[in-house]
Amino acid sequence: MRMYFEKTAKKVWGYKWVYLMLLPVITYYVLFKYVPMYGVTIAFKDYNVFKGITESPWCGIDVFRKLFKSKNFWNAIRNTLMLNMSTLLVSFPLTIIVSLMLNEVRSRHFKKITQSVLYLPHFISWVVVTGIASNLFSMTNGSINRALENMGKDPIPFMSSNGWWIVTFVICNVWKEIGWGTIIYLAALTGVDESLYEAAYLDGATQFQRLIYITLPSIKSVIVTMLILQISKMMSIGLDAPLLLGNKKVAEVSEVISTYTYRLGIEKAKYSDSTAIGLFQSLINIIILFIADKFAKAIGEDGII
Amino acid sequence: MKTKKISAGHVINYILLSILAFVCIYPFINVLAYSVSGYNAVLSGRVTFYPIDFNLEAYKQILGKTQIWMAMKNTVVVTILGTLLSLVLTILAAFSLSRKDLPGRSFLTGFILFTMYFSGGMIPTFLTVKSLGLFDTVFALFVPQSINVFNFIVMRTFFKNIPESLEEAARIDGASYMKVLINIILPLSVPIIATMGLFYAVGYWNTYFDALIYIQKPELYTLQLTLRSLLFGEVLNNSGANVEGIGTQVMSQSLKMATVAVSTVPILVVYPWLQKYFVKGVMLGSVKG
Repeated sequence: MRMYFEKTAKKVWGYKWVYLMLLPVITYYVLFKYVPMYGVTIAFKDYNVFKGITESPWCGIDVFRKLFKSKNFWNAIRNTLMLNMSTLLVSFPLTIIVSLMLNEVRSRHFKKITQSVLYLPHFISWVVVTGIASNLFSMTNGSINRALENMGKDPIPFMSSNGWWIVTFVICNVWKEIGWGTIIYLAALTGVDESLYEAAYLDGATQFQRLIYITLPSIKSVIVTMLILQISKMMSIGLDAPLLLGNKKVAEVSEVISTYTYRLGIEKAKYSDSTAIGLFQSLINIIILFIADKFAKAIGEDGII
Repeated sequence: MKTKKISAGHVINYILLSILAFVCIYPFINVLAYSVSGYNAVLSGRVTFYPIDFNLEAYKQILGKTQIWMAMKNTVVVTILGTLLSLVLTILAAFSLSRKDLPGRSFLTGFILFTMYFSGGMIPTFLTVKSLGLFDTVFALFVPQSINVFNFIVMRTFFKNIPESLEEAARIDGASYMKVLINIILPLSVPIIATMGLFYAVGYWNTYFDALIYIQKPELYTLQLTLRSLLFGEVLNNSGANVEGIGTQVMSQSLKMATVAVSTVPILVVYPWLQKYFVKGVMLGSVKG
C-alpha cells in the first residue's frame, strides 16, 4: 500500500510541469463555469442585489411555482420547440440531399468552389445576416417586395406577420448553416467502399440505384446519430437569431427561452426568475440527452455522450 | 474504373448546385451593389447584381465616422487578444490531458467535459463576471468564454494521434514537457491550430450578445453593436420621412450596406486562405475523441 502511494506520488511529481500547464485552464473553469454553477442557487432565493448570492434568503421553490403559472414562460418554450422543429424539418433532409449532390460531383474544381461558397454564410455574424435579410425582405424597401411591386403583386410581410416571420427565420437559418452541415456527411461519404460502386456498376445498376442501395445505407449511422443529436438540442436555441431577427410585431412567435431569459434577467433585472428558467432548461436538456443516448445505444448506434 | 460518360443526372446536379451556390453568394453581391449605387437607383429598386450610378459616397461617409473606427479598433483588439488567449489555453489543456498516464487525467477531463452538459446559465455567469470586475471592460468580451470544449476535444484527439516515439526520443534526451510541446508537438499541429484560430477569431469578431450585456461605455462598443445600431436605429428615425427624408433614408440604405460590407470584408479576406485547413479540422472533430 505504501509502495503504491510512493509510486503515485513520484509519478505525480514527475508530471509537475504538466500540472502547472493545466493550472490556468482549471482556474478558468472554476472561475467562469463552476462559480456560476453555484450561482444557480439564486433560483431558490429571494435575490437581493445588496445582499449578494450567499446572503439572500432562501425561498424554496416559490420562484418555480410562479414560473410554471406564467403564460409567457410556456409561450417561450412552445416557440423554442416550434422554431427548432421547423428549422430541423427543412434543414435536416436538405443538408443530406446537398451532401449527396456534392458527392456526385466529379470535377474537383467545381466541387471545391461550390463548397467554399456554401460554407461562407456560416462565418457571417447574425447582425450582418439580419441586415442582409432586412435588405431583401423588408416591407417598404426590401428587394423582394420591390420586385413583387413591379410585377403588380401585393408585398409580403416577411418580418411583420407571425406566419411569414417563421418562414423568414427558417430561411435565414438554413441559408447560414446548410453548407457547413454537409461537412460531416461528406466526411462519412469519403469512407464508402469504392469497390461496392464498381461491383454495382458492373451489375448494371443505375446511378440512382447506386445512391439508394449503396450510398445511403453506408452513411445511415451518421444520419441517425445526427438526427438524435439535433433532436436532443430541441430545447436550446441560440440567442442572436431570434433576438436580432425578432421584433415587437412578431413577439408572440419570436420570444424563445433564451430571449425571454435575457429580457427577464438583463433588461428587467429579475435575477431569480431568469436563473430558474435557465436551470429548468438545463435539467430538461440533460434528461433529453440521457434518453437520446439510451435510445441511440438501443438501436445499435454509438452513444452521443 | 470510373465512367467518363456524362449523364443527364449529372447535368441537372451541376445546375442545381450552381443555383444553390448562387443563392448563398447573391446576398453578398446585392449588399456590395447597394453600397456603391446612386440614390435614385436604390430608391427605385433597380439595383440587383451590379451597381447603378456607381459612386463611393457611402464608403466615404462610413469611413469618416469616428464611431466606426473606434468599434473597428475594439473588435480587432478583442479578436487578437481573445484568439491568442483561447489558443494558448486550449493547447495547454489539450497537451496536458493527452498525456496517457497522467495521474487524475480522466477526472480532470471530466471536470472540463461536464461544463458542456450543465452550466450556471446567463444570469449567474453575468453576476460572476460582474463581481470579478470585468463588467464594462474589453476583457469581459473574451476572458469568460476563452475555451470552447468542442475545440479542446478536437485538439486533444489531434495531439493523441501524434506518434509517441517522436517525443519519447526528446524526453530521453532530457527535454522538458514545455520543450516537447513547443519543439515537437506544435510544429506538427499547424493545420489544427490554424483551424481553431480561425474558429475562435470568427467567433470573437462576430460576438454580439456578450458585447450587448457587458459593454455600456460607447467608446468600448464593438463592430457588431455599432453595426446593429446603425442598421436598425436609423430605420425608426426615418419612418415618417418627407421627400427630403426619403433622400436621407435611401442614403442610409446604401450607407447601411456599406457598413455591412466594411464589417464583413476582413472575414472574407482571411477565409480563402484558411479554408483548406478547416474542413480537415471539422472532420477530425467528427471522429469521437
